[in-house]
Amino acid sequence: MRDELLSLTKNVVEKALASGFDEAAVKISSFKSAMVKIANSEPSVIQNWRYIGVEMYLAKDKRLLIFSTQTTSLDELSRVINNLFETSQKLSPSPIYSPLPEPEKIEPLPDTVDKRIIDAINDPSRLAEILIEASHRSKIDYIAGMVSLSYNEKALSTSKGADLYEDSTFLESYIRAFSGEGSGQWAVGSRYLSEKKLEEVAVTASEFAQKAKNPEEGIPDKYDIILSPMVAGNLLNVVARMSSAFSVFMGSSIFMRRRVGDKVASESFTLYDDARNPELAGSTAFDDEGLPTISKPIIHKGLLNTLLHNSKTASLMKTKSTGNAGWLFPRAWTLRVELGDASLNEMISEVKKGILVTNNWYTRLQNNVEGIFSTITRDALFYIENGEIKRPWKKLRIADTLPRLLQNIYMLGKEYYDIKWWEVDIPSRLPYILVKDIKTSKHTT
Amino acid sequence: MEDLLFSAISFAEKLGAKYVEARYHRNSLTRLSARNGTLLGVGGGVFEGIAIRVLYGGALGFSSTNILNKDSVKEAVKTAFDNAKAHSRLMKSPIEFVDSNMGHVKYDVIPDKNFDSMDLEEKIGMLNELWKNVKDVTTEAKIPVFFTYYSESVEEKIIVNSDGAYIRSRVPRIGVGYNLVVLYPQKGSIQRFFSYGASGGLEWLREWNLSENIVDEAKTYEKVLIEGKKPPEEPIDVIVGSEIVGLIVHESCGHPSEADRILGREAAQAGKSFIKPEMIGQRIGNNYATVIDDPTIPKSQGFYLYDEEGVPARARYLYKEGVINEFLHNRWTASIFNTESNGAARASNFYGEPIIRMANTYLKPGNMEFEELLEDVKFGVYMKSYMEWNIDDERWSQRYVGLESYLIENGELKGFVRNPALEITTKSFYSNIDGVDKNLKFYAGMCGKGEPAQGVPVWFGGPNVKLKNIRLRVVA
Repeated sequence: MRDELLSLTKNVVEKALASGFDEAAVKISSFKSAMVKIANSEPSVIQNWRYIGVEMYLAKDKRLLIFSTQTTSLDELSRVINNLFETSQKLSPSPIYSPLPEPEKIEPLPDTVDKRIIDAINDPSRLAEILIEASHRSKIDYIAGMVSLSYNEKALSTSKGADLYEDSTFLESYIRAFSGEGSGQWAVGSRYLSEKKLEEVAVTASEFAQKAKNPEEGIPDKYDIILSPMVAGNLLNVVARMSSAFSVFMGSSIFMRRRVGDKVASESFTLYDDARNPELAGSTAFDDEGLPTISKPIIHKGLLNTLLHNSKTASLMKTKSTGNAGWLFPRAWTLRVELGDASLNEMISEVKKGILVTNNWYTRLQNNVEGIFSTITRDALFYIENGEIKRPWKKLRIADTLPRLLQNIYMLGKEYYDIKWWEVDIPSRLPYILVKDIKTSKHTT
Repeated sequence: MEDLLFSAISFAEKLGAKYVEARYHRNSLTRLSARNGTLLGVGGGVFEGIAIRVLYGGALGFSSTNILNKDSVKEAVKTAFDNAKAHSRLMKSPIEFVDSNMGHVKYDVIPDKNFDSMDLEEKIGMLNELWKNVKDVTTEAKIPVFFTYYSESVEEKIIVNSDGAYIRSRVPRIGVGYNLVVLYPQKGSIQRFFSYGASGGLEWLREWNLSENIVDEAKTYEKVLIEGKKPPEEPIDVIVGSEIVGLIVHESCGHPSEADRILGREAAQAGKSFIKPEMIGQRIGNNYATVIDDPTIPKSQGFYLYDEEGVPARARYLYKEGVINEFLHNRWTASIFNTESNGAARASNFYGEPIIRMANTYLKPGNMEFEELLEDVKFGVYMKSYMEWNIDDERWSQRYVGLESYLIENGELKGFVRNPALEITTKSFYSNIDGVDKNLKFYAGMCGKGEPAQGVPVWFGGPNVKLKNIRLRVVA
């Protein structure tokens, strides 16, 4: 649909300018997707979507409007734009206004589409069957989870002359296996369909469930904690959102009282917004302002390397866009943590008194500026003593601060996992991570 | 539009579907955002489309499109049907829907004051005025950031199904929210996110008394920041403010009472429930523990009269005088439990399947004044508001960290405590209630569940509650 979508974005930009706006950017997203949701080891629902959405950024005398609609009728869109123009007359100039950027050369990302995903959208039943079968190779009670496939197209035109198109595929799957009182969960997010990876997700979830079958009550204390890629992904998603310059501007970030160059994490820790890595779901060649994306560290060897910017926040903070627009809110496209050299066993042997947390959820902050947070473990949690896993534990909270967690990173795994699920919204490629001296908590009564 | 929906029903029936449902769902939204009183911009949109559900061979197919023509809707029906058919071979327990009374009705929420009875400039001016009033009220601390939004939205639905339902509804909603940061570098900062929300119109702005409340909050947070002491660590009495009580009953009664969660349907997402299917009638707390979920409260944020399956809504007594009394049901779970659906199937938009949701959940208030609750406390803490909270995926172990919190000595509030954490199990909370006052208040929220995740508007509320013999945690 490339030509059809681009023709529409160009036409809508023209209509916006003709109606009196100074600037316009129009993004049209189209996707087809399917999802099999599984519960009690059988499908609970098979969902399918066909969607086209039009998003418009419009500026008049520095007054800003951002509007979404789903009509693709030019007449209807003209009416919407004319109404928005009337609205713009009543607004005051925005303090974050800056002009849309001049277009730059965009190098497309290679291999962003896997035809096997497009084919599987029509009938994902075989993939559901693989997940159910593979997870039941271990002795478990039942599984829940999902597999989702999508084919996405986006077209973008701006009044500065950018006309861009990209298509991509995306696979997401996660399985939670239950065995007695134990459970295990694992996930994958990928550009490509791999039945082997789906099997690995199912097998990993089931193995954790089995190992955690008879958990004992956990004892809250200060521990060395091994964060699985699921847990690290969840917590680093929060950090990545806080690295958006808009989060800093809005008072919702641990970086609010920090500057680029400040030490914000352990020297061993480097976190990338790996926007141009085509293997990673979420990667893209251009942002919503039509600028090329850049793979770059957010935190490099412990130092804050950059906030994530669009041209508005960049202008406000007197720097350059990092290719992360969002017209209003710059965001990370996809995260990658630089590997260390430890195996999981080496990491465990390093821990005198600690825990291995395989999954968590419900991370909430008391204060985004201070980074005071807690999150609660779910699924397999293991107590480690003198370098050995001793026993599975029931749930605990990790309750500390994000700045301390980042500073106390001690060891990084040497193997990558591509994670995306409910609690890891930005697709993330990460290893296991060991953090020292982190507080945990639990109900008192 | 209705023709499209009825043609979808006919087509699915021709294909052989056992049940089919077609829902037109339109959400329109306008939102003004301001930082420190200055308008950043206007956002919004119109999100409309059709959702189809088809039951065939015991499997449930869902399909959604926002391309609103006959061919696209027909394709959506075919896709839902084909998917159900393809997956029916994997079904060990075929899905069935219980028979229910089907609504044939049209209803609207009528605002007392329409959105357009106030100019856009006035609404922008209101956000500016809030900043003007709050920016200088602290004496030593500063307010570096005060982000506000004002939103108005309208949700319109037409629901038809092969069992005879026809429901047409229109619900406007209004919301105001803010992020307030109070900074005193020697002591750190305090942050408060809060949002108001309800169905209806501009009449709520007066009710919410925004300016006075926000100014009071900013002054209080400065004191908490500068004067707040460490909370006591020994077991004490704790008065839990209605804002926290509302969240507690939502998290630890409403969610675990969702029958789909009890049956494991959300096990990999929002989790399971400590409540097992056979636990109706079992004790979970003392006689104070009556929790009601009622979609029919006029002008509430979670208001509806019929659910997405066409079933009439009614108040549900989830816990009654300390006993697990009733689950939230849709037509599928009701068939498993051999009961009637109580109309809890909701979808937030056209691309979401209807799933079991709360509406307006609250703890039943008592007859006491707040002062009467207080006067019995020799030494304790009153937690009025919160920021951080979480609960495990079976809804048993939960934590709420107080924001505006006071020490109580001999029945009087004696200065502030900083970041006390109530970390408690569900049974302990409902068993340790030692008194509830009569001040029932509701708070607005967006409740998340489902895959893809759907946020539905809800209220949660309750009176102020006294708990006895609680050991609080201290947050770093």
